[in-house]
Amino acid sequence: MKKQSALTAILKAKSLTLTVAAAVVILFFYIMNREFLSGNSIRSIMNAMSLSGMLAVGISILLIGGEIDLATGAEAMFGGVVCAAALAAGMPIPVAIIAAILFGAVAGLINAFFVNVLNIMSFIVTIGMSSIYTGLAYYLTNAKGINVSGAFLKLGTTALFGIIPTPFIVMAVFLVIYAFILRYTDIGRAVYMIGGNRAAARLTGVNPKRVTTIVFVNNGVIAAIGGVLLTARMHVANPGAAASGALDAIAASVLGGVSFAGGAGGMGGCFIGLLLLNAFINGLMAVNLPTYFQLVAQGALLIIALSVEYFNARGRQKRVAAEARELMKK
Amino acid sequence: MEHQLLIQGLSKSFPGVKALDDVFIKAEGGRVTALMGENGAGKSTLLKILAGDIEADEGSFSIDGQAQTYKTPLGAISAGVSVIYQERQLMPSLSVMENIFAGKLPKNRLGMIDYSRLRQDTEDIIAKFGLAIDPRASVGSLSIAYQQMVEIMKAYRRDSLVIAFDEPTASLAEAEISILFGLIERLREAGKIILYVSHRMSEIFQTTDDVIVLKDGKNAGAFMTSAVSETELIRAMVGRDIGNTYAGLDRNTELGAELLTVRDLETDKLQRVSFSMRQGEIIGFAGLVGAGRTELARAIFAADGIKGGEIIFGGEPVRFRSPKDAINAGIALCPEDRKEQGLVLSHSITKNISIPVLDKLLKARFLQTAEEEKLADEAVRKYDIRTPSVDKRVVELSGGNQQKVILGRWTNEKMNTKLLILDEPTKGIDVGTKAEIYQRICDFAKAGIGVIFISSELTEVINIADTIYVMRSGKITGKLSRGEATEESVLALAMKADG
Ligand SMILES: Nc1ncnc2c1ncn2[C@@H]1O[C@H](COP(=O)(O)OP(=O)(O)OP(=O)(O)O)[C@@H](O)[C@H]1O
Ligand SMILES: [Mg+2]
Repeated sequence: MKKQSALTAILKAKSLTLTVAAAVVILFFYIMNREFLSGNSIRSIMNAMSLSGMLAVGISILLIGGEIDLATGAEAMFGGVVCAAALAAGMPIPVAIIAAILFGAVAGLINAFFVNVLNIMSFIVTIGMSSIYTGLAYYLTNAKGINVSGAFLKLGTTALFGIIPTPFIVMAVFLVIYAFILRYTDIGRAVYMIGGNRAAARLTGVNPKRVTTIVFVNNGVIAAIGGVLLTARMHVANPGAAASGALDAIAASVLGGVSFAGGAGGMGGCFIGLLLLNAFINGLMAVNLPTYFQLVAQGALLIIALSVEYFNARGRQKRVAAEARELMKK
Repeated sequence: MEHQLLIQGLSKSFPGVKALDDVFIKAEGGRVTALMGENGAGKSTLLKILAGDIEADEGSFSIDGQAQTYKTPLGAISAGVSVIYQERQLMPSLSVMENIFAGKLPKNRLGMIDYSRLRQDTEDIIAKFGLAIDPRASVGSLSIAYQQMVEIMKAYRRDSLVIAFDEPTASLAEAEISILFGLIERLREAGKIILYVSHRMSEIFQTTDDVIVLKDGKNAGAFMTSAVSETELIRAMVGRDIGNTYAGLDRNTELGAELLTVRDLETDKLQRVSFSMRQGEIIGFAGLVGAGRTELARAIFAADGIKGGEIIFGGEPVRFRSPKDAINAGIALCPEDRKEQGLVLSHSITKNISIPVLDKLLKARFLQTAEEEKLADEAVRKYDIRTPSVDKRVVELSGGNQQKVILGRWTNEKMNTKLLILDEPTKGIDVGTKAEIYQRICDFAKAGIGVIFISSELTEVINIADTIYVMRSGKITGKLSRGEATEESVLALAMKADG
């Protein structure tokens, strides 16, 4: 039996439209303002991509597995607070980071507990958890945030070749590793299966609860690491940080073709979604659009991009059918 | 004048396949027209076009000489066409009466739904069909068989002129089938145009007047049922003769050691079920739908919890905590409901086949995708799955081909199966492939694998299994050997009153 034909391979590359869109967006803002592709601007795009990117990696995997974590931004923020508090208490940097990671793991376990054991929808559970972490963080930091200083800052402020920020590199490494895990490991495959059909997955020997737990813990840990990087970049762990983190990450993932219904998507699309979203947001700043309109434009981008994808898919179906007909006639 | 449905030059392509190619169909009122053909021949596609579900690329159709141009399900309904699919098209959380009258709920003067009339009207229809269904029951709580009855009543309520059935008996047991046939008979008497898709030969000869055969999306013959033989039909469908299905089987003659003993098994649905089987033995479970056969299979496989009793597998008492444990011990369950319990529809054939053996496809923690693909190729070859590529998403396969994917999964060579439980394995499978599947089941037995074969098609169970158990209401009501089982004796046990 043959591998898929070139035709279907191209059709499968759903993210083609998005790549083109990202390129168009970048080109457009470059024409509008040459500064858009200056070193500084690229750096700030990459910086912006790194936090939402970390969160998007975790969220994409959750979405593929049919779950969601609306507390992911709050988990990142709280991870940052834990790390900063540990540093402030005089702990060494690695210990502080591990403390944040542990918090992320526990946060994931808590989500998984409610979803697996009490059968509450993750959507509901994580709305609640988000509020709890935010409230706790304000309480614990007296609503002021915890400043960090010293060598720890290097994590967030250094850049490779003076242009690629360290957090971006960390994010890119995660993205690539998870791309492999999703594609080439049994646990990766299991995530798709439980997202696609949980009952069938169970009957084929996948343990849906175990996989769900893994993806939640994984997400918590990634979010916490994201929070640590953000804290290092901002010099402060601020309870108000990453408030829209979950929504931005979900937007990027879904834009990149990760299915909200579960079972489909991947890291490649997730990356392009991120790039498109962040290039666009930065571009709006580059052309000095008033802040409020930036919000409007962001929302419009998301909706337009998804609609375009929809029409494209429809057109593609028709085209393929026509081509198939031609082929058959021969 | 008799009613008439005329379809001309109908063509429809999907990526890589021409599902329908210049198809011509003529069906008359007061007659049942069968549509036959191998898996993937295009039957369901034709019905979907008729239902306004998908659009044809080319072709036209007319009802009573009137050209039809509708392109939506609503258009089909108002043109008087109802299609009853393989999958139910009901709203499970709504009641029977709301489903039957969906789109045309009776209203009172205030414009609110008139529930008492709704209930009365529904009861009238239910009574006409001689069924016992509570109009207020939610459809989701009904068995598949009853859900289908609801769907037929819905078509009846709409007063459709054309009623098309896509493998309506695939999930029904004999008793329910006779109710269905009674109902089709009534529709025929009422002069309706009835299209009937099925792979079961006996039904074709029992209920239909005409047969239209499709092969690879093209017309491959039109016959009067009374003037055609089974052999001729098969030749038209498959393109060759297949000989006597059961007599030609190469069966296993040597039974091995004790493989599985079930003693006093109790679950929510099962009451003190006991039986035992040996390696290389094929045991069949017959009974009406809802008799507890699927529940028994699921209990052995640890898909559902058990309340009491004992399972001894391979000489040792076992208590599996999850299907995963059962699979590791060498048990495979090929489930009855392929959409809900079996397949991950949005994924490829390859990925669907490899799920239970993913851990065996790892090398240094990474999946060997080439190996994985080999498994899929193997399944495609073994079961003759009609597809342009193993990368095709399962949702795009025809019903019978989806079933073959499940079989391919559970019988793949990496499985290391000792006990194979097949729950309705030939559901929706065409005659040619069925014969091959029977032989494969015998081959498994010859390799020492124990096979539990559950089927609602009586002829199949009594001809394939070495020992036939009959179940009713969660209990085993009889045990027969292949020689002594007849359709009558099995049916009697399946319907035997308690006590
Ligand atoms: N949505 C779809 N996308 C792509 N291909 C499709 C789609 N639906 C059907 N096909 C293809 O069209 C062909 C005809 O399928 P169809 O379902 O009509 O067969 P069928 O005669 O009903 O078979 P069966 O007896 O197995 O139910 C098959 O090759 C199938 O793979
Ligand atoms: Mg079909």
